[in-house]
Amino acid sequence: MTDPKQGITEAEAIEQAKQGHESAFEVLYHLHKRRVYSLCLRMVANPAQAEDLAQEAFLQLFRKIGTFRGESAFSTWLHRMTVNVVLMQLRKKGLPVVSLEETLEADDEAPRKEFGTKDVKLTGSIDRLQLQRAIDRLPPGYRTVFVLHDIEGFEHNEIADIVGCSIGNSKSQLHKARLKLRDYLKFMRAEKAKTW
Amino acid sequence: MTCSDIQRALPEVLDGGANGVAAEFETHLKSCPDCSDLVSDLKLITSEARQLAATEEPAPRVWLRIAAELRAEGLISDATIPEPAFARTSAAPRPVLLPASPRRRWSAWWLAPVAAGLVAAGSYVVRHKPAPQVAQQQAPPTPTTAPAPVTTPVTGTPAASSASVQAPAPQRLGRKSTPAKDLLASTAEPQVEPAPSAEDQQFLSVVSTRAPSMRATYENQLNAVNADIRETQAYVKRNPGDADARQHLMDAYQQKALLYQIALDRIQ
Repeated sequence: MTDPKQGITEAEAIEQAKQGHESAFEVLYHLHKRRVYSLCLRMVANPAQAEDLAQEAFLQLFRKIGTFRGESAFSTWLHRMTVNVVLMQLRKKGLPVVSLEETLEADDEAPRKEFGTKDVKLTGSIDRLQLQRAIDRLPPGYRTVFVLHDIEGFEHNEIADIVGCSIGNSKSQLHKARLKLRDYLKFMRAEKAKTW
Repeated sequence: MTCSDIQRALPEVLDGGANGVAAEFETHLKSCPDCSDLVSDLKLITSEARQLAATEEPAPRVWLRIAAELRAEGLISDATIPEPAFARTSAAPRPVLLPASPRRRWSAWWLAPVAAGLVAAGSYVVRHKPAPQVAQQQAPPTPTTAPAPVTTPVTGTPAASSASVQAPAPQRLGRKSTPAKDLLASTAEPQVEPAPSAEDQQFLSVVSTRAPSMRATYENQLNAVNADIRETQAYVKRNPGDADARQHLMDAYQQKALLYQIALDRIQ
């Protein structure tokens, strides 16, 4: 990975950051800022909190950069660190990182009936802003798993490890999160249709 | 395969597993519109969700705060005060040492009160409604008029302590991606770059004199933050009740004040 403005590779920036070069820290920040901030924003659904969390994630990374040996990809390391920072924050606030509904709800047995909007179909396209809003509405536990899996590309075994749940729990919550999103999106679409 | 079977198999099918039941699954979907809609909707959601990764741009202040914290913690070496990244063209960082020159401190004395004035102006804009009056006071400049933000009478003490910010804002001051700004971006009219205000011209003149190599850097950042202020002012004018937009405007003024303050620290 190379910063186009600098012509400097990520590996070079890492080595220079270890020497305390501000410009190297800056390169690393700009290479990864969107990914980190977007992840934080999706998980907490609050721009101000997301900024604070992104800042904390980068600071933790830069404080520990001297220990980075390159066994894993730098982006993976940063990504994992960001997730941990966010989850720690969620736990501090008493928000569940794994949905409690998992142990309380019976499995759905049939396709869901959504808010009396049976005729409204998503098929075709989803407005990005509406999808973002629907994700923001998800309960924190569902949102965490959905963001990590469907947006960020983590595997269920990784999510289980990070979040501290079983792989089956991760899969189940992801499925329920998708179903809830479908409900939300259909509801939004129906509401929008009423206004036209 | 029944609808319930589809429900149970769906997570695995969507994630690329359950090959063993794929044929039965598809057969059921052909005969069941409800399940077919469900599957196609969930596939759509998962594919669209992937597009949301790395779409949001953090505000410039995030890096400023990180850099300040790194300095405060001593993680940035004091021996290297590098030129901001986007001003460089070579592969390796080229530290630029800017020696202090007490003999010429007078030349930039006005930067501190101007920075304080910017913060005061921003506070006034954010706290005083109705917004349309604000927009008139801080009207977006036309191509023939200079921007207004730094014309507020300066009565304050020097701006906030510079102890935590000792180097120029190293990144381009880009656009903040907030809902308000997204809306703004979608409704804003094409902007024409106005001429810099008298204060900005004087600011750049001092930078040119004291740190010529930094001139382009500061000018780019100044242009970016001025554009941000103008756009947000225009948005606030149209949406006076939008608290987020007013806060963003305050942030933009603070960004500009910080830029002046950083220059003050650097060139004095």
